[in-house]
Amino acid sequence: MTIVTELTDSLIIAKKEFKILSRKKALLIPLILFPIIMIVFFGYGMGGTVKEAPILIINDDTGRASSSLVQEIGSYTAKYDGSPMFSVTYTKDMSQSEAESKIDAGMYKGVLIIPPDYSDNVAKNENMTLTLLTDSSDVTTSSVIINFMRQLLAKAGSITLNVPNIYGNLEYLDFLIPGVIALTVFMGSVATTGSAIAGEKEDGTLVRMLMTPVSKRSVILGKTIYQLILQLGRAVILILAAYFLLGFNMNGSWLLVSLVLVIFTLGGVGMGIVMSTMVEDMESFFQLNMLVTMPAMFVTGVFFPLSSVPDWMRYIAYCLPLTYAIDAMRTIMIKGQGLNAVSTDLIILSLFAIITFTAGVHLFRREA
Amino acid sequence: MEPIIEVRNLVKRFHSRGREITAVNDVSFDVFKGEIFGMIGPNGAGKSTTFSVLTTLLKPTKGSVKVAGFDVEKEDDRIRPIIGIVPQKLSLYPLLTARENLELMGNLYNVPKKIMEERIDYYLKLVGLEASADRFTGGFSGGMKQRLSVISAVIHDPEILFWDEPSTGLDPQTRNVIWKLAKKFNGEGKTLIFTTHYMEEADNLCDRVAVMDLGKMVALDDPERLKENTGSTNLEEVFVHFTGAEVRD
Repeated sequence: MTIVTELTDSLIIAKKEFKILSRKKALLIPLILFPIIMIVFFGYGMGGTVKEAPILIINDDTGRASSSLVQEIGSYTAKYDGSPMFSVTYTKDMSQSEAESKIDAGMYKGVLIIPPDYSDNVAKNENMTLTLLTDSSDVTTSSVIINFMRQLLAKAGSITLNVPNIYGNLEYLDFLIPGVIALTVFMGSVATTGSAIAGEKEDGTLVRMLMTPVSKRSVILGKTIYQLILQLGRAVILILAAYFLLGFNMNGSWLLVSLVLVIFTLGGVGMGIVMSTMVEDMESFFQLNMLVTMPAMFVTGVFFPLSSVPDWMRYIAYCLPLTYAIDAMRTIMIKGQGLNAVSTDLIILSLFAIITFTAGVHLFRREA
Repeated sequence: MEPIIEVRNLVKRFHSRGREITAVNDVSFDVFKGEIFGMIGPNGAGKSTTFSVLTTLLKPTKGSVKVAGFDVEKEDDRIRPIIGIVPQKLSLYPLLTARENLELMGNLYNVPKKIMEERIDYYLKLVGLEASADRFTGGFSGGMKQRLSVISAVIHDPEILFWDEPSTGLDPQTRNVIWKLAKKFNGEGKTLIFTTHYMEEADNLCDRVAVMDLGKMVALDDPERLKENTGSTNLEEVFVHFTGAEVRD
């Protein structure tokens, strides 16, 4: 058995998997739509954007530049909704501490302080810093406000935004999407690999396949190739959907994202194989699958930052590979970091892939 | 006569939940080239296990098994291409059409495309499935599945055809077609090995019949001689003669 025939065989198997998938209409639709629906619902529902958030602008400047800035903020309308993003109140001559107390009182979600020399500096194109106070107890809204102000001020000139006391410039969607992609790939690769094998066990086609001259290696390789293409395809669709529907911006390297996803998919496929060897049919597989993937979904910080959960929950999260995949995805996609920043994640994910895959191949062989 | 399968002192044990089960216990026999060889025996007699060893799915615990001169343990990759298998559990991909199922098998057996296409057309016609060639097999009746399963096992023109319970659960018409196919393949020089629960089937088709019971081969001869030697009028009586009347688990 040469490598060429093994590879040819595995491509035949991968092709067969795709042909079958293309006919499982009932599976195909949720496979693609599920992650999109998830980001849309969570994204909007949990406040991917802000509607009529009360903000205060303290404008100590009287020039043209500041009034156009103020106007732009006031009239800004979120791209997918008719209502304006902010409900703006104007004032002047208010101290920062007074403004803070108003935020404390819950009157405003954010306060932008425009200094007296704003217009002059814009005209001279000089560097300057504006102060933006936000209600950081409302992470979502404050992050949206900050993000928006950053974009707006970037257009106005070389202005840096001084945002005291807040934790980051994350928009919830930015936070959510890399996690959802990792989750989607994980659930997808485990479930489709495992259920396909369990199904083939049930209807006897797996044994039939193993009766042919095709090696077990080729069978596994074929299924893996199929999964890699499928899961990467889903990730791309998801990123594009997030880009077009929600204005998500990808800051990092696509190549690095692919690398993370490839390694993670391998782990997922291995896991699916291991799980499928423990069951005899589809139904038992899905029960087992629930047990494995559901907790991962809620513990690993797809929907909320791990920094906000109790310690015991965080320790559980650190035991789950999905946590590292999510971390790597966020580091690359949002923070735009390179290989160095995700090397630990990659090592852990590679270990996960090697362990599950080796176990999967071993069990699969003994099995049939 | 030239043996094409040589089984010597085959033992196959399984370990299951701390218990050891000897499914096949020191069985030796030959299958000759070009014959139709039948294996009968009650449930749990060891037919299927023997079958799985012969088709390289299971490794023997002890003993040696050669198929077409190749050792099942060491040279299984030489054996697989020259044997065809019709499994008891008809295993077709329900979401592939009849033609696609055949193509998949042809591809996995590395049959050249042109020859494969010719054979597919020929065989689909032979078993009367040409009109259903492009239908998903998920909607096929049991008889249609059985016929398709048979021709997908010979798409690579194997020397030896293993056939696990060919006509279980089939109507008499389909059974008739299946028997005719078996005779036809045998006429083309293929060696056929059956397991069956139908004594009539064994009687009709087989040149020689092996009776298995409790992991042992208790008799092996041509059907006529088996009847003579046991003073039976049919194979049913032969069967009971060797394996008793008690129901097995």
